[in-house]
Amino acid sequence: MDWSALTVSLTLAVLTTLALLPVGLALARWLAVTRWAGRPVVEALLLLPLLLPPTVIGFYFLMALGQGSPLGAWLAASGVRLVFTLDGLLLVSVLINLPFMVQPIQRAFAAVPNSLREAAWVSGLSTWQTFWRIELPLAWPGLLAGMALTVAHTLGEFGVVLMVGGNIEGETRTLSVSLYDKVQGMELQSAHVMALTLVGVSLLALSLVLAFDQVGQRGRALQER
Amino acid sequence: MSGLHVQLRSDTPIRLAAEFDCGAGELVALVGPSGSGKTSMLRAIAGLWTPADLQGHIRVNGQDWLDTHTGVQLSPQQRRAGLVFQHYALFPHMTAHANVALAAGPGWTASDVQSLLVRLGLAALSERRPSQLSGGQQQRVALARALVRVMPKPSSQTHEPEGLPGVLLLDEPFSAVDAPTRQALYRELAALRQKVSVPMVLVTHDLQEARRLADRVVIVDAGQTLQTGEPSRVFASPRNARVAELVGIQNHFTGVFHKDQPGWGRLRWTDPARSAAAIDLRVIDKNKIDDGISVTWVLNGEQVDVLADHESPEHLEPGATCLRCQLIEVLSLGEISLCTLMPMALPSQAITLNLTTRLLARLQVTAGAWVQLLIAPGALHIMPVRELP
Repeated sequence: MDWSALTVSLTLAVLTTLALLPVGLALARWLAVTRWAGRPVVEALLLLPLLLPPTVIGFYFLMALGQGSPLGAWLAASGVRLVFTLDGLLLVSVLINLPFMVQPIQRAFAAVPNSLREAAWVSGLSTWQTFWRIELPLAWPGLLAGMALTVAHTLGEFGVVLMVGGNIEGETRTLSVSLYDKVQGMELQSAHVMALTLVGVSLLALSLVLAFDQVGQRGRALQER
Repeated sequence: MSGLHVQLRSDTPIRLAAEFDCGAGELVALVGPSGSGKTSMLRAIAGLWTPADLQGHIRVNGQDWLDTHTGVQLSPQQRRAGLVFQHYALFPHMTAHANVALAAGPGWTASDVQSLLVRLGLAALSERRPSQLSGGQQQRVALARALVRVMPKPSSQTHEPEGLPGVLLLDEPFSAVDAPTRQALYRELAALRQKVSVPMVLVTHDLQEARRLADRVVIVDAGQTLQTGEPSRVFASPRNARVAELVGIQNHFTGVFHKDQPGWGRLRWTDPARSAAAIDLRVIDKNKIDDGISVTWVLNGEQVDVLADHESPEHLEPGATCLRCQLIEVLSLGEISLCTLMPMALPSQAITLNLTTRLLARLQVTAGAWVQLLIAPGALHIMPVRELP
């Protein structure tokens, strides 16, 4: 078992989820209620990482932030290095995990009947109070599902990590990359352990997602009664 | 200036021309078919619906909630409107008590809220979630949540006998409960009105419900308030044919009104398709309709006597018209039979009467037989044809 790779993977997964949660929450709530005509475009952009090969995203990220680009040169001059670092990996990880975080939360907010918002307003609650006391408590299964999906997807990401992070031990070598190394090196015993760990974590995360979804559905069914 | 005054006008997205008021402690029912705009009017009062081109005012006890002339527009939070939603819209993650406490202002303690719940028969249920309550119980929680918005603060000792600056709005609150529960809720609403003196506006499509609960009804159609008045008055003398149709009056026909001897008029019942045939009916001239005006009119079936074909009436009311009709169809509904009759002189028209099955048995008539209808002038209600706006 490559413990340092597991640490990198877990660190990346936790930080990605924490960084993404407020962004995803704001985006998801906005998408759930906005009547703006441009909404489908935003939604398409958000879903894009699901369809694009991770290498495409990694390639553009390198092009944009490598030392060859003006932005990369400016960042380097300011002492910020995003290529082949955990920071850069975190940034790209946040981007590609957007759909995994936003989708379940958006669905959860959209499922809160508008009459409940209106009931809160006529009861004297401000929009902000309505969000905290009515919408968020009803949408929390969606939040948990989004977080579980983000953790699982981050742990399993391979292509982007290799392109953007490289393969630096203790910095950017994640469990999935380490697994690849072990297979290349014919260390099948280690590979088995890591593969099983990843299967286990993903299975756990998916079970949680489905369990939260069920809770959410029960909540919705109850609102429609 | 006590009570609620509403006067609203808008053209988009739906046409709206609403004008009615509701005194403190009065219950006014907005009655109309689905999609007639009555719920929109209610939502406008609560501040949940304000189209961009809205003109008019909403005034509660002299306080402007909306006035497009002075630019006043209070938010839903600032208006003290207790709104009972059609499907109650209770917060599913909160107990009954928490649902009500959320809407209660700072003057309400937890025990004040509890005593309100006790008053509404929810003492044992206050810690239950909406999903653990029956429809009727949910409705009572929704009512409690609306009431805390309009009731005086329990902590303040000052009484506000002149009525509170709030309104209670009920959006089809009885449509989602079964009949026995509905009866119980009707009684509760009646009892509540003894205790809380705020204007109450009820939206319903159920005429019987409006008739039973409301002090006054407002007939709403296509975004317009057509007629306002006491239920018995509106149902007995609809202002025009559309109102008659909306309040479910059978037997409305077209004709032309002619003046006759002083105090009397002649209603020429015609068939719009075939002008040749006509029946003249004597009516009372109330000097409201000019000579030769096209009218629609309603026959109140309860004031029509039925005689056997060759029976002569023992006592003929002055001005009564005798009409020979054929029984086209008899639908027996137990004690009452729904009968369709065709006047001999105007075979294209049909009169619908609810006759007791006993009467039909006494007259020994079945479908196909001939009878005489004795129509007193008071059974006819004449309205000018509704001018198209």
